Amino acid sequence: MTSNRTLRLAAVAAALALLVTACGRDNKSATKDTTATTAADGSSDTTAAAAKAFINPDEDCTNYDGTKGITGDTIKIGTVRPESGPYSIYDTVTKGLAAYVGAINAKGGVKAGDGKTYKLELVKADDGYDPAKTPGEVQRLVEQEGIFAMVGEIGTSNNLAVRQYMNDNCVPSIGLATGSTEWGKAAQYPWFIGGLPSYATEGYAFMEWLKTNKPDAKIALLYQDDDYGKAYQDIIKKEIKGTKITVVDEQSFNPLTETSPESKVAQLSGSGADVFFVGIGGTPCPTAIRTIPDSWKPLTYVSITCSGKTAMSLTQGHDEGLYSTQATLDVGTTADQANPKVQDFFKEGAAQGLDQGTLEGGIAAAGWGFGALFVKGLELTPKVDRATLMNTLFSMKDVNFGLMLDDAKVNTDGSKDPWVLEDLKVIKRAGGQWTEAAPLVSYDGKSNGFADVK
Amino acid sequence: MTTTSTGAPNAAPMRRWLPLVSLLMLAVVLIALPQLLNPFWTGRVTSWIPLAIVALGLNLLTGYNGQISVGHGALFGVGAYATALIINDWKWPYLAAIVASAVICFVAGIFVGLPALRIKGLYLALVTLAVATLFPQIIEQFSDTTGGSTGLGITAKELNSRGVLTDRSIRFTAPEWSGQADDQWRYYLFLIVAVVCFLLVRNLVHSRAGRSIIAIRDNEVAAEVSGVNVAAAKVFTFAISAALAGVGGALFALYNTRVSSGSFTLLLSLNILVAVVIGGTPSIIGPAIGAVFLNVFTDVITPELPENVKSITPLILGALLVVLMLVAPGGIVGLYRQVSAWLVSRRATAPDPIPPTP
Repeated sequence: MTSNRTLRLAAVAAALALLVTACGRDNKSATKDTTATTAADGSSDTTAAAAKAFINPDEDCTNYDGTKGITGDTIKIGTVRPESGPYSIYDTVTKGLAAYVGAINAKGGVKAGDGKTYKLELVKADDGYDPAKTPGEVQRLVEQEGIFAMVGEIGTSNNLAVRQYMNDNCVPSIGLATGSTEWGKAAQYPWFIGGLPSYATEGYAFMEWLKTNKPDAKIALLYQDDDYGKAYQDIIKKEIKGTKITVVDEQSFNPLTETSPESKVAQLSGSGADVFFVGIGGTPCPTAIRTIPDSWKPLTYVSITCSGKTAMSLTQGHDEGLYSTQATLDVGTTADQANPKVQDFFKEGAAQGLDQGTLEGGIAAAGWGFGALFVKGLELTPKVDRATLMNTLFSMKDVNFGLMLDDAKVNTDGSKDPWVLEDLKVIKRAGGQWTEAAPLVSYDGKSNGFADVK
Repeated sequence: MTTTSTGAPNAAPMRRWLPLVSLLMLAVVLIALPQLLNPFWTGRVTSWIPLAIVALGLNLLTGYNGQISVGHGALFGVGAYATALIINDWKWPYLAAIVASAVICFVAGIFVGLPALRIKGLYLALVTLAVATLFPQIIEQFSDTTGGSTGLGITAKELNSRGVLTDRSIRFTAPEWSGQADDQWRYYLFLIVAVVCFLLVRNLVHSRAGRSIIAIRDNEVAAEVSGVNVAAAKVFTFAISAALAGVGGALFALYNTRVSSGSFTLLLSLNILVAVVIGGTPSIIGPAIGAVFLNVFTDVITPELPENVKSITPLILGALLVVLMLVAPGGIVGLYRQVSAWLVSRRATAPDPIPPTP
């Protein structure tokens, strides 16, 4: 009797299924039609440019919607950051980005290359620095919030977790808050453009300095156990070939499962190294510097992501003599604070509610810069749509934006040279200020080569 | 799925049509959902199905067989990684990958199930807890193959317009005849897999083997005396339960087109257990209800909460659980049974001696 009933039910269900199949989702087919028309409209005036352009949405995208997220004169952008957990220090990046967006809107908006003035709207999401959570959040921003682009999304692994998704959907992600060498693969993933120097280039700049200043260095390496930390590991091992420099010990630090790098530092301190390379981020980075035992006096290098005043103050006075690399003005250093760009940042940032500590901390300044890169792209692009904007960002000539060093320049060229920040200088910490240890060097067009990215 | 076979000849008509109507309504809702929802929400609902399947497996083990496992997240992970690697490296079709993942997890289940013969109750919970804790670390140990915490995309190579070979996420392309969008097609595929799993478990529980499984839970010694091969039945149940976890994991991997160690932490194992408890055990449909409840909380309710409350969402969920357990110790299905029993007893003059066994 039961099986009879089940059968009858199955039959009813099957009938229902057939009915559903016959109907289909009405609004869906409607959307498909409009997309087709937009693509057709757009192609007429872009074909000429598309012959040379880096991205051709007609060929690269299946469901391209170039102006999604633009309503009237407002462009909606999204970002993902850790609002909670040990990496919530990065939430300040997003505060800086939000302040930049606020400052632009307070000025009446951004005058884009198409002659129109746009206001910006920023939608934030929280993934807790957990790459398993990033896809869901980004999906919500793209599909539910309908953003035009992602700006300043934080975390190497987090960005990697959504790279394919963004590529599949042809949604730009601009000013990534990470310098993984992976962002050099613009030929494969043309919708991603980094907002930090490549970690390989950063490592290269320091290794160049080391070769001249400490040619027999014995390095102890602490690296984050992901693409971010491994980029340092790779470039160091590559650059010591044929030199007297050696890596005497290395330890990896897992940001998701470990909380303090103290035991790793203790282990490295016994290696007999005289150079300590700290290739980890978040609060564990200053913790690593703070927990260097007094008996060990290595020349210590900290990752560029960890060189701001906030991170330095978390070392609790152990920052004297540290080395790092710089591509932008340091808002925590008195000499740089006199620069009009930093003055503007202080004034407008304060108007957006950032306090002086946050303004000088360096982390908010990074977010400010990611916003500035996006806006620079808008100013330069002849047409405000996703593909044209990316093509513009990937063909910049001698551009300077945000808080970049005055004599640094941006030159990009699609797949050959997708890196924005390639002019770097090695700096040294003295008396709570960053000072120049070596003059600015331009590595323009070389970043991908350092990491063997083709 | 909730059909009851009471066998009582003079049961009230209410008794017969209530589950039937519920089931029919459920079927209508499940089939109509992707037609009513936009692609985003269709995707979200699709993403709930894997948890329902793995919870079904755990419910078979815990609810029907009385063995506790806090390690099903690890088995779920094994299924997910198996699917990812099989599709990436061997280019198998999705369905074959799902079946292969189920088989691999079945075997893994035997290996976890064998020691479970000697370890019981709390101790088994602890051992499986260790498995759940170790799993993400093992994945990170072999990050060259698994992608570690960065993750591993499930992709196929495609030539893009610049002549560069690009990894493209795998896609579920709806065939022309179906008239469905890709997201709807994927939903129906997942739904069919889920329905097959639920029907298989339902039939298993109502079979001879199922009665042995339940007998072991109720009294192991009595079951053995009655001729049940306790060892074989327990290992078999563990293996089937693991296979279901594998199917869930496979669908999870196919849905995300990506696997990373952070998705398979202890929290996942606990969530599976919570889904089973919320749904109510032992019950066939319970785990699905529990999974939906849990996901509605994380996907629908949590994003609507005000910013300053979001950080304490685990606390809110915990409090909700406590309240639910106080109001309905038998989970949502238990609550349904109470209510329907009350409805029946109001209609029927004579109380029914046999309690319903959905």
